[in-house]
Amino acid sequence: MKLARDLQRRPLRTTLTVLGITIGIWALVVFGSMANKINAIVDGGSTFYADKVTVAANGSGMGFGQPMDIDTVAEVEAIDGVALAVPSIGMPMEDEMSGGGLGMEYISGQVAGADHGLESYVLNMATGRDLTAADEGSYVTVLGSDIARQFGASVGDTVVLRDREFEVVGILEPTLTMPDSSAMVPLAAGQELFVDMIPAMFAQDLDPTGVVSGLTVYPETGVDPEVLAEDLRAANPSWEVMSGSDFDEAIGSATAIFNAILVGIALISLAVGGLSVINTMAMSVAERTREIGIKRAIGGSRTRIVGELVMESALIGFLGGVTGLVLGAAVAILGNELGRESGFLLFLLTPMTAITAVAFSTVLGAVAGFIPAVHAARLDPVAALRYE
Amino acid sequence: MTDPRLRFDPRTQFDTDRKDHDVISNALIEARDLRKTYQLGKRAAVPALRGVDISIAEGEMVAIMGPSGSGKSTLMHILGLLHAPDADGGPSPELWFEGRDMTRLSESERTRIRARRMGFVFQSFNLVPTLTARENVLLACDYAGLKGTSAQVAAEHVLRLVGLDDRGDHRPAELSGGEQQRIAAARALVNRPSLILADEPTGNLDSQRATEILELVRWFNREHGQTILLVTHDPEVGNACDRVVHMRDGLVADHGAVPVPHPIAAAPQTAIPSAA
Repeated sequence: MKLARDLQRRPLRTTLTVLGITIGIWALVVFGSMANKINAIVDGGSTFYADKVTVAANGSGMGFGQPMDIDTVAEVEAIDGVALAVPSIGMPMEDEMSGGGLGMEYISGQVAGADHGLESYVLNMATGRDLTAADEGSYVTVLGSDIARQFGASVGDTVVLRDREFEVVGILEPTLTMPDSSAMVPLAAGQELFVDMIPAMFAQDLDPTGVVSGLTVYPETGVDPEVLAEDLRAANPSWEVMSGSDFDEAIGSATAIFNAILVGIALISLAVGGLSVINTMAMSVAERTREIGIKRAIGGSRTRIVGELVMESALIGFLGGVTGLVLGAAVAILGNELGRESGFLLFLLTPMTAITAVAFSTVLGAVAGFIPAVHAARLDPVAALRYE
Repeated sequence: MTDPRLRFDPRTQFDTDRKDHDVISNALIEARDLRKTYQLGKRAAVPALRGVDISIAEGEMVAIMGPSGSGKSTLMHILGLLHAPDADGGPSPELWFEGRDMTRLSESERTRIRARRMGFVFQSFNLVPTLTARENVLLACDYAGLKGTSAQVAAEHVLRLVGLDDRGDHRPAELSGGEQQRIAAARALVNRPSLILADEPTGNLDSQRATEILELVRWFNREHGQTILLVTHDPEVGNACDRVVHMRDGLVADHGAVPVPHPIAAAPQTAIPSAA
């Protein structure tokens, strides 16, 4: 390939330029994969919260923490537009944010089937079985895919959740979002764990069966969950009500930071990589002035000259992109392999990210090569031929 | 060869164009009032051509000679459409090639004519160093719009004619000066252009290689009727040509004896070898 021969004229310089782009694309792929992971988790949350409203006690944040009285269920269900309120328990798996897991693991307790088919967010079993209402009173659990990996548990094994032994009856398929790092237990078992978690001086009067940490509220058909959320807020200011838009708002700022980092990395790689391609191509053009003169003289059009040089710089960009992608993918795969131990996979390298990275670097190379190429094509062929 | 330009017969073109433009019937090139001043920096201006009229008949092999700075290279660059003559400072220049007015063409049209109707040979060979000999020849085909098998066939043919069909896969650096110049000649000839422009083609060659190149060019001139325009210092090269145009101080000092019927005389065309 003639193009490759042109690149091989100055192998060191070409390699360095390719490396410049490689670094940029590598960063783009690594950060992009991290952002993908975060976005997947957020998207999962958005989907989950889209058609329902959650109610928790004030100060609970995202569903765990403050106890609520089980009577709240009846209170909520009395409000117009509420089809069903399902009590649930949610709590972090560890009190402190633990090392590898970033404190994202949690335990959720709910009576299986209590949603009466209203829940639209479907969880599929990878192995074993789902929880049933008959499990109430026993200590069984269904684990998310990441947490199962973290425990190294399979169906039939016993795991310890907050100092209590549970038998694993099922493991979920990966969802790329919250359920992956959660352990699902029957409501009663969850209530016990929850009360155990509460400091003794507050917990002594609590009957575990009367305590929940949150409600999942399903609106009646035709009722806008956002409107219902407003009604719930009005009904009792001590409730912390969260709708789909609240979730998006709360979590959106976190995603925005990641996306800003991604854009920042992209811009830096654009600037550094692009400048180095411009530099390389400008030097190539200077060295090949005479050759460009020959080509122009014997009838090579300006378009052809520009085309050849732009193709060459696009190839530099492409090579840098592919190398950066390979190295970035290596980091993502290796990082996830290391994170497998703790159950937390930090990277999600999607085909879209891979294609975008390589396409971006190729276009970057082409655009950067365009300026010197146009300069070359405008050379006076006679002057260029005399150039030594 | 599907492009009609590649099958262009200058004489038929001439007969039709003659009605529109007052052009001498068998002149391949007809130029009047060619002037060119080169600007060196802000103050210094060097008048390289100061009003040159020249006429070159089809099938002629003409040498342009003269001392350094006499304007012979400049004249060749203008006739080869690499530079445009100055339009200001005197009567409007005229430049006709194959019966077409060259003064009003865009840069891309001039490039197209260079690619298809002209061939260039330079003193320092000027092959593209990263391409093999064959690819250098094919490059000219490509620029002329000839691709694929037809280009391959044309390239092989012309490489055989210059006696280097066995050296086609070598890069210029692996070839001797004489071989490089023969490849350059092959590149110039592959599209069967009506005009070959050669700037000191023998300047970097020893006398034996110089003679070889000259004979090669002469052969193409005789066999294919290609018009040859050479710029040279070498009187031997001049002697091998039909006519020598002498230049001095940016003007034609002597148009040279005309062994073939002079274009102005509108001679019968049977004397000119067929370009077919």
